[in-house]
Amino acid sequence: MNLAHYELRLLALASLIGITGLFAVGFATNSINNMLFIVSVCFLFIVIAVHFLQKKLGHSGDPLLLPLAVVLIGIGLTMVLRLKPTLFVMQSLWVLVGLIAFVISAAFFRRLEQFAQYKYLWGIMGIILLLTAILFGVDIGGNKNWVIVGPIRFQPSEFAKIFIVLFLASYLTERHELLTFATKRYGPFDIPHPRFIAPLLAIWGLAMVMFVLQRDLGSALLFFGVTIVMTYMASGRIGYITLGVALFLIGSFLCYKLYPHVRVRVDIWLNPWSDPNGTAFQIVQSLFALGAGGVLGSGLTYGFPNLIPEVHTDFVFAAIGEELGFMGASAVLLFYLILIYRFFSIALKSPKPFSTLVAGGLATATALQVFLIIGGVTKFFPLTGITLPFISYGGSSMVANFILLGLLSAISEVRPDDA
Amino acid sequence: MHSNIQDKFRSSIRRVAFFFVSILVMLFIYLSYIQIYQSNFLVSHPLNRRTTEASRMVEHGKILDRHKDILAYSVSDGAGGYKRQYPYGSITSHIIGYDSLQYGKSGIEASHAGYLSGLSNPERRLGSITHLWDIKSGNNVILTLDASLQEIAYKALGTNRGAIVAISPHTGEILLLVSKPGFDPNNIDRDWQSLSQSDVSPLLNRAVQGLYPPGSIIKTMVAETALTEKRINLKSNFNCSGSLKIGTDYTLNESNYTAHGNIDLEEALAVSCNITFGTLSLQLGRDKMANMFEKYGFNKLLTSDVPEVPSRIPSFSRMGDGDLAQTGIGQGSLLVTPLRMAMLASCYANNGTIMQPYMVKQITAPDGTVIKNFHEEEFSSPVNSQIAKQIQQMMVTVVNNGTGSAARISGISVAGKTGTAENPLGNPHAWFIGFAPADNPQIAIAVIVENGGSGGQVAAPIARKILEQALR
Repeated sequence: MNLAHYELRLLALASLIGITGLFAVGFATNSINNMLFIVSVCFLFIVIAVHFLQKKLGHSGDPLLLPLAVVLIGIGLTMVLRLKPTLFVMQSLWVLVGLIAFVISAAFFRRLEQFAQYKYLWGIMGIILLLTAILFGVDIGGNKNWVIVGPIRFQPSEFAKIFIVLFLASYLTERHELLTFATKRYGPFDIPHPRFIAPLLAIWGLAMVMFVLQRDLGSALLFFGVTIVMTYMASGRIGYITLGVALFLIGSFLCYKLYPHVRVRVDIWLNPWSDPNGTAFQIVQSLFALGAGGVLGSGLTYGFPNLIPEVHTDFVFAAIGEELGFMGASAVLLFYLILIYRFFSIALKSPKPFSTLVAGGLATATALQVFLIIGGVTKFFPLTGITLPFISYGGSSMVANFILLGLLSAISEVRPDDA
Repeated sequence: MHSNIQDKFRSSIRRVAFFFVSILVMLFIYLSYIQIYQSNFLVSHPLNRRTTEASRMVEHGKILDRHKDILAYSVSDGAGGYKRQYPYGSITSHIIGYDSLQYGKSGIEASHAGYLSGLSNPERRLGSITHLWDIKSGNNVILTLDASLQEIAYKALGTNRGAIVAISPHTGEILLLVSKPGFDPNNIDRDWQSLSQSDVSPLLNRAVQGLYPPGSIIKTMVAETALTEKRINLKSNFNCSGSLKIGTDYTLNESNYTAHGNIDLEEALAVSCNITFGTLSLQLGRDKMANMFEKYGFNKLLTSDVPEVPSRIPSFSRMGDGDLAQTGIGQGSLLVTPLRMAMLASCYANNGTIMQPYMVKQITAPDGTVIKNFHEEEFSSPVNSQIAKQIQQMMVTVVNNGTGSAARISGISVAGKTGTAENPLGNPHAWFIGFAPADNPQIAIAVIVENGGSGGQVAAPIARKILEQALR
């Protein structure tokens, strides 16, 4: 099998896309400097080093995962250099930390199956992380989901999603029969005894608290969606989805009535042109950017994406749409589509139920996150602030997504003892 | 046991995967809708500052007059962008307009921004590929305007408020378009507060957007229509006793209450007899009077680059006789723009055909290549040429022997009509419309001096100065 060889070639190609982007920005802004050379060389070198390190450690995971992430990171670094040059070095360091986290995670989670028994540990850690955000959350850029510990500030929800998926996977693997068969009929719904779904309700409650207290619509929807979808995966009962959607609609309706900030989000989604200079400013600016990009885009540095507030984090996709056009934006979307497809196929190929659910849950989380943010900035769906994996500026998101990638890489390995 | 669970997990995961791939594909289709189908709408949306921002970074083309005299050009602002300079300052302010980051654009700067910045060039559609040959400066816009004539007209108005429009009658080319007071477009940001709050509205382009009662200059139209409708002929006689009682409660008076006695149409126009034209309006009746405004195109907007406001034509169907007679002498609720009155003069000058007035002659690339030419176009043809000739002759008499004598130029036959339009704001507005040379008209003109007093004494001499210069 020559998969490792493919991975090396793909990695070289993927790194070159990013390096080309960095130099395109450098030339266009007349700012080719040593830092750009150092970052580019290190980027190529470290990515290749990761490949050989993994090979040495005996990994034989899905050879598409790392190259896909590297393409997205290359595009992300290019956009950070173009949008906020002062944050470029910081973001490069986060990529480095992320790649290290990837190697460690891929090695660590080889023993994933054994972790199933610590399910409450995962659950508690996930909940603690979310609680820290709820209790000590600081508002940075409109989202109260940052925690500051000394010099470090991070977004716990990015990491919590991994713990919550691990917890749900182990809980659901163990209890799937109860969830499938021990049901009682409540009107149109088949619902298991409340005792069995208590942990699920706990996560749902937590999501609601995040929603209400932190105004973090994106994370709340993400956790809520992952919980429901994973319950469905384990039980095979569509009733959970129906129930979830019903709860979601009722919850949304109540929130729409009770909370002005939710009402504003929905109203500007329905009609952004009613208040284009006020509440809908960001989304309208985002649409202007996407429209201005057209098919081929304005070209890197020739657009005006900085007219959109927070463009380098939540709205980075609009900047890509403007400067790289539909060509660039759809390429990014396709890379995500391939990545998500690979995640799901890892789930389907995994021989163990627990690993299958973990992979399925992480695939769901990533798909949902990509959909929420890209759908949000294009006005396909009401806007919920959440990062674009591997592209948005931010350390927490970068490291958490690399850990997630390492975990899936570990699951994708076919080891002799599994057969 | 394991494989059983696995099968169940897998089949539901497969469905979930299918669902997510589907919504991402939907997102993909939606993205193409936004970026391709809606692109034009979003790019040209007035709130999208991109065009403004982008246009600041390219050197805009020049705006030139018909003799290639520079009216606007760009200079570097020292910070990577450009700013506009206007050598003629307030003289051309209303036509050229201003270009301010803060307050936007007006005039040609606004209406032809796409050409001037080069951003509407078709190759721009190629997006990032255009950077291969990089457009660094925009196109030049060449106007039909004659800057030296414009300057003379601007100065001739002196400190008065008012407007002057001159048209080349055979083509519709606008030769000058002055509105006073003007403003200095070079310092628009500095002066904005005082300009926008001023009582005399310096930012208003009176020539195309100022609405005034036309007064007696409208009598040319009534005379023409009465002849065309055969209500009278050139030999018909009118008896002016100085006042005309209409109905039971309205009396139309001659200005200064002078009785003109027994006169024909030509004499009536020369002395601007209110009684004659009031009587003619009543004879024509509501329908013919309404048709008259219709056939001259007063309720049809120009389709060229001239940003006019529509004139206010009263609704004739429910009009009393008194108001009808008033309308026939250019008073009452009838309001017109100076541009439309210049068009009226050009109609008789051009044997009964009104050419569509236009300001932009040509667009050229920075290297001089012609990108677009604009051509003359007929606007309407309200008068047959025989009657137009008769009106021409009468208008010559107005200048030679009538109220327009101050417009006389030795050696050149000038046709004209004066107007002194009563208005609620103070002294009457002084009007003059005319053209010259009468036998082969090269220029048709309309002059209004707001609250200037007598048209013959105030507006006619201003017209003379301009016609003299234009025909030199």
